Amino acid sequence: MSSATLEIQGISRRFGDVVALDELDIKIEPGELVALLGPSGCGKTTALRIVAGLESTDSGHVLLRGKDMTEVSANHRNMGMVFQAYSLFPNLNAEENVAFGLQMRKVPKLNRLAKARELLEVVGLNTQAKRFPHQLSGGQQQRVALARALAIEPDVLLLDEPLSALDAQVRANLREEIRRLQLSLGTTTLFVTHDQEEAMSISDRVGVMNNGRLEQIASPDELYNKPASAFVASFVGLMNRLPGVLDSKIVEVLGQRISVADNNLSDGVVKVLIRPERVSVIQDSQDTNATVITRSFLGASSRVICQMRDGTVIQSLVPSAGTGSLNPGDEVKLIIDEHDVLVASV
Amino acid sequence: MKRKSLLLPVTLISCIIFIALPFGSATEFSFRDGGKTKHSLAAYRWILAQEDFLHYLGVSLRLALGAVLITLIIMVPTVAWLHLKAQRYRPLMEFLTLLPLVVPVVALSIGAQSALPEALQSSEYELSFMYVVLAMPYTYRALDIGMSAIPLKTITEAARGLGASWIKAITYVIAPVIRNAVIGSLFLTLALSLGEFTLTSLLHWDTFPTWVTSVSQQNIIGAIALSVFSLAAAFFLLFAIGLVTMRSKSDAMEGHK
Ligand SMILES: Nc1ncnc2c1ncn2[C@@H]1O[C@H](COP(=O)(O)OP(=O)(O)OP(=O)(O)O)[C@@H](O)[C@H]1O
Ligand SMILES: [Mg+2]
Repeated sequence: MSSATLEIQGISRRFGDVVALDELDIKIEPGELVALLGPSGCGKTTALRIVAGLESTDSGHVLLRGKDMTEVSANHRNMGMVFQAYSLFPNLNAEENVAFGLQMRKVPKLNRLAKARELLEVVGLNTQAKRFPHQLSGGQQQRVALARALAIEPDVLLLDEPLSALDAQVRANLREEIRRLQLSLGTTTLFVTHDQEEAMSISDRVGVMNNGRLEQIASPDELYNKPASAFVASFVGLMNRLPGVLDSKIVEVLGQRISVADNNLSDGVVKVLIRPERVSVIQDSQDTNATVITRSFLGASSRVICQMRDGTVIQSLVPSAGTGSLNPGDEVKLIIDEHDVLVASV
Repeated sequence: MKRKSLLLPVTLISCIIFIALPFGSATEFSFRDGGKTKHSLAAYRWILAQEDFLHYLGVSLRLALGAVLITLIIMVPTVAWLHLKAQRYRPLMEFLTLLPLVVPVVALSIGAQSALPEALQSSEYELSFMYVVLAMPYTYRALDIGMSAIPLKTITEAARGLGASWIKAITYVIAPVIRNAVIGSLFLTLALSLGEFTLTSLLHWDTFPTWVTSVSQQNIIGAIALSVFSLAAAFFLLFAIGLVTMRSKSDAMEGHK
């Protein structure tokens, strides 16, 4: 089956006074994995459920291969869905669970069980085929749920925080596995999560949502380095927020004058957003401007937290080599890399 | 752990004494024939000699089956729907289903009777509806707890997403998963219907329990034999239903919380 394009066009949904989705637009290319990222309650699940046909819309359309699916009921959409947890049928064993979608499509028993076995093998559970859900660990249950969703050869795979109930180690393994499978099958996928690391590590593009709207949708690199707004910037990765003064496209921060990209801010006091790895720490400098508070060794790099003269705390991520002699209380000079500095209103 | 291992047998034995002692004594008494030492089946022969015995037993069984059917057709789908589509009404239902315990039976019987269609008011089957109402505090809870123990909404949605129509979702997923809760609630309805006395006699109908009461005024040992018989029959029924549910209960459901 060839991969499908999925389009979400101007979808809005309110629950009473709560606006869960506000004119949401997303287009997902065939075979692409797009993650929806955002704080709790921003409408991610609602968006996914509308695509799946489990929730109605107030306005807007869901298009699959250009065909309007908005009025098609959930059982005719051919979309594979993986829920957060506990979605396996408790009365069926693993292979019957996986075969369920094929059973609904009237595939003969032998064929569908063979296919179920095949998929269980793909997710590494071929020895657990006869186990019932309560006999499987959380991670194994989610693998079965994934196999079950893939068994129907879905046009679109929809995942709603499928890993959030699992512990860190299992989570990291399984997300790589989801990505590997998704790439090999070429299934168009929408992946909902509030874990930015998860979203950034396996997606072709990440859509950051806030209050039912899409703030930005871009590749992980672009999102990280060229965030479209302060919200996106602080939601994706760590950001230092420093006070600065903007004067005709030049911002003054930490005593440095840095030119910033076009923005529609008026001159005056602004907030300057800087990634920790864009701040370098110079020891043995004549004109120091900060004091080291702590240094934590993280492996290849170290996190150095310093305090400016005016009390502002600033975080820096530096290569561990060469910072071994930094101690709390040391006077240092902080320098900001002039690339990708973002300003926002205070 | 030591305390737990002692607690269980103590509780069990107390329960057995609590149930078996009166039941055993009643059984012994029902076999007495004249004196303390002479025993016979006289009282049981007397029961069978009552020509109305089978008639009223039949009436009660029919009405109880009616109540069971109504529970199955109205109560079960309603509670399932509450869980799937109308979670926010559950507190309201919780309250409403307690009313039969609060409203005095007299008020309930007259009020509920006048709410029924005319045709039904003159039929003994009105009692089946009343029994469903009386059993509601228990049946609703049995169903509600049973359905809360499983993520019914999620698995139903999963089934729908995998291509199941509503009918198929109900037959392949919902029904098997809630079966034990349903059987439990049906048994409660059955037991309550078979034993209901107050409301039945207030509405001037005759069923097995009202018949037993009137007959027992003539023969005290016979009356005790009758209650021993009813109790034994109820136990047997319970046991039979327990066997059926246990055997068909796949191990999938066991330990699933
Ligand atoms: N069935 C519903 N009834 C009423 N309000 C709802 C319903 N479903 C969602 N909402 C509201 O809509 C908003 C968006 O909810 P949604 O579940 O889509 O958020 P989310 O982004 O998935 O959050 P989370 O990360 O916590 O899962 C929330 O404010 C939520 O309270
Ligand atoms: Mg959610």
